[in-house]
Amino acid sequence: MTQTGPMTAAVPAAGTPQQGAPPPARRRRRAGLDRISLMVVFLGVPFAFYVLMVLYPFTQATYYSLTAWTGFSPEQPFVGLGNYARLAGDPTFLSALGNSLTLLLVVPLVTLTASFALAVLITFGGRSAGGVRGLRGSGFYRVVSFFPYVVPAIVIGIIWSQVYNPANGLLNGTLTAVGLDRFTDFPWLGDVDTAMAATVVVIIWSFVGFYMVLFVAAIQSIDTELFEAARLDGAGRFRSAVHVALPGIAGSVRTAYVYMGILALDAFVYMQALNPSGGPEGSTLVVTQEIYSTAFSQGQFGVACAMGVVLAAVTLAFVGAVFAVARLLGVRGGARA
Amino acid sequence: MSPLESSRTPLQRRSFLKAITAGAVVTPFGLSLASCAAGGSGGGEAGGGGGAATGEVSDTNPFGVAAGSTVEAVVFDGGYGTDYASFAADLVEQNQDGVTVEVTGSTQIAQQMQPRFVGGNPPDLLDNNGANAIGLSTIAAQLEDLSDVVAAPNLEGTTIEDTLYPNVLGVGMYDGKLAAINYVLTVYALWYSQSLFDANGWTPPTTWDEALALGAAAQEQGLYLFTWGQEAASYYLTMALDSAIKEGGDEVRLQMANLQPDAWSGQAITDVLAAMEQVVASGYMRPGGAGTQFTAAQAQWSQAQEALLYPSGSWIENEMAEATAEGFVMTGAPTPTVSADAAMPYAAINNTPNEPFVVPSQGANPAGGKEVLRAMLSPETATEFARTKLASTIVAGTIPEDAFGSSALASQVAMLDAAGTDTFNYNFVQTYGMTADVNVLWNSFLSGASDAAALAEGMQAMFDRIREDDAVVKVEVS
Repeated sequence: MTQTGPMTAAVPAAGTPQQGAPPPARRRRRAGLDRISLMVVFLGVPFAFYVLMVLYPFTQATYYSLTAWTGFSPEQPFVGLGNYARLAGDPTFLSALGNSLTLLLVVPLVTLTASFALAVLITFGGRSAGGVRGLRGSGFYRVVSFFPYVVPAIVIGIIWSQVYNPANGLLNGTLTAVGLDRFTDFPWLGDVDTAMAATVVVIIWSFVGFYMVLFVAAIQSIDTELFEAARLDGAGRFRSAVHVALPGIAGSVRTAYVYMGILALDAFVYMQALNPSGGPEGSTLVVTQEIYSTAFSQGQFGVACAMGVVLAAVTLAFVGAVFAVARLLGVRGGARA
Repeated sequence: MSPLESSRTPLQRRSFLKAITAGAVVTPFGLSLASCAAGGSGGGEAGGGGGAATGEVSDTNPFGVAAGSTVEAVVFDGGYGTDYASFAADLVEQNQDGVTVEVTGSTQIAQQMQPRFVGGNPPDLLDNNGANAIGLSTIAAQLEDLSDVVAAPNLEGTTIEDTLYPNVLGVGMYDGKLAAINYVLTVYALWYSQSLFDANGWTPPTTWDEALALGAAAQEQGLYLFTWGQEAASYYLTMALDSAIKEGGDEVRLQMANLQPDAWSGQAITDVLAAMEQVVASGYMRPGGAGTQFTAAQAQWSQAQEALLYPSGSWIENEMAEATAEGFVMTGAPTPTVSADAAMPYAAINNTPNEPFVVPSQGANPAGGKEVLRAMLSPETATEFARTKLASTIVAGTIPEDAFGSSALASQVAMLDAAGTDTFNYNFVQTYGMTADVNVLWNSFLSGASDAAALAEGMQAMFDRIREDDAVVKVEVS
């Protein structure tokens, strides 16, 4: 990112012919032609593609949400907002929506806090004597904590469902080995008090490393002198993290928050792998699972589309909220990752 | 500042970044909505099939398959594979002049067939099964009545209906129409290890009192009576329903299958749930099932032998073949009744067949689909199926005395023979896609987190919700 300035400055020097000053009018026309071809190639074609592959399906899905389409016949009887009224009174959907919102609140916050803490340790959490540096062996930690992100989500789900296995899982094995006998055969994914928390741990575990690497890169782009100056002024690691590093990477945090939130609202693969039937008392059922079963096993595509529209609206509201909060906090910069 | 930046470029760059941000905003929209969009709405072409050219109807070609035509069969590629359908397809190709049959396997039936049903070009024969099956009531109106298939002679000249086990076609009836023929006979029973029971002098329980006594005997040895897995808690619903139907008679089955308002307050089901509640409260269920993957739970019974009994369909032998202890001698017994003077004899059994084959009316060659089905229901294919899959089709008398050396299959035939016409079946749980909701309630009940009253209330609420929902296509069961 720091290179952007010099690069853009260098481009015109090489690109614009410097011999003779062309009359302003002619230059403008050539720029116009350039601009038109640029727009056609780089905007027109992608936009047409976008309309066809993105906007059209959205509109279509939104229309289906107003019908009682079963999904398996050509008839799509129009029912207006009937599906939405139905969703408002559907306890299963409402509880799924509640679960999705729980994930939305918890998952990004915990994941990114943990990622930030780890990134701080790796970049400037090392010895406080000498230059600013990370912990010893930080390169190793960085690689290790990135591992889970490389493993496909469904594999993570399967691994963890074995870890949580009540009879011979790693977790209960460890707990009972240290003498906590009340965890003999404890069903982590089958108990209404622990199922959601156990699932959240898995999602967080698989993303902490990725966002840590992201934050490490962002922190490294902050001028080291700032950290050194803060330290000379007597700031400890915590103050440096909160008052130097965090403001410096606010743009990245905002973007990460949006992406992690979207992932939390989806969460389909994790839920399907860990608790395909929605968990004890439906405590881990999320909207995407409900959409899937409503559409394909209950043959109600119209209702499923209405759920999709609701989920999309929630997602948009969330993204809007993140940007609004970020603006209130004075975060600047584009959608830098 | 460079010359370019001094013009409008910075503004453009900023708007470009904004555009990217907007893209990031719209992405979630895509995630949640794109899944709903249809592949292509060919509504206008609907009705293109159905009126396909037909050949001359004769005794050897009862549905009039056109010579030289092509038949497309899509078969669920699950535990039984697709080779039995290919076997029948070969017979059709031999018997019908120039007819070719293409058999394709699939495990994503609903996802792959959905656009084809909408577009009016479904396959000629479809085995609608597996976790991704289409809810049959959704497409029932678009299916052929298969009554003429069972009324037709098989390849040896006997009327097909006369060769089938009793009461095996009822589950395929949708509003008076035989919309599906479920091909594989499934016996729902309590499965146990004959060798383990013999060694301990145990016998399978015929009543719930005996079950509780057996549970106590198991507990003395540090064993459990039952085990269960989170995705298969619904097997205990099947056991409870079977027990209640045997206790209270066929009216219980009709109340349940038609989602009646007072279905879960009947005496029979109340008694059964009370007994099962006692099983749970006495600690006879292996703990942890609500958090255990179902095949792992089944291995606790078949491999580790920590539990004595497991209620399941007869696919269990095949499913656990790789995870069954040496010398297990898997054997089935009918579900216990509440009292000794139940409405049906103890030998009565749930034989709801599986693998529903349907012939969509909109297909290009429905007659061809029926012809493949006719070949499948002929003794040649049915015997081949029994021999290779160690399971019976709905065609009776295809299993030899030694049952190909399978104790489970032998006991399956013995149970069917003992039951005679005292067999019953239902499949409303699949019809209305209730399995996920059922599992939620039953996991709580089996783990002791709820009780019989809460379970009955929850099941009744589920029934009421579906019954009152006009968006759900109902199937009247009689």
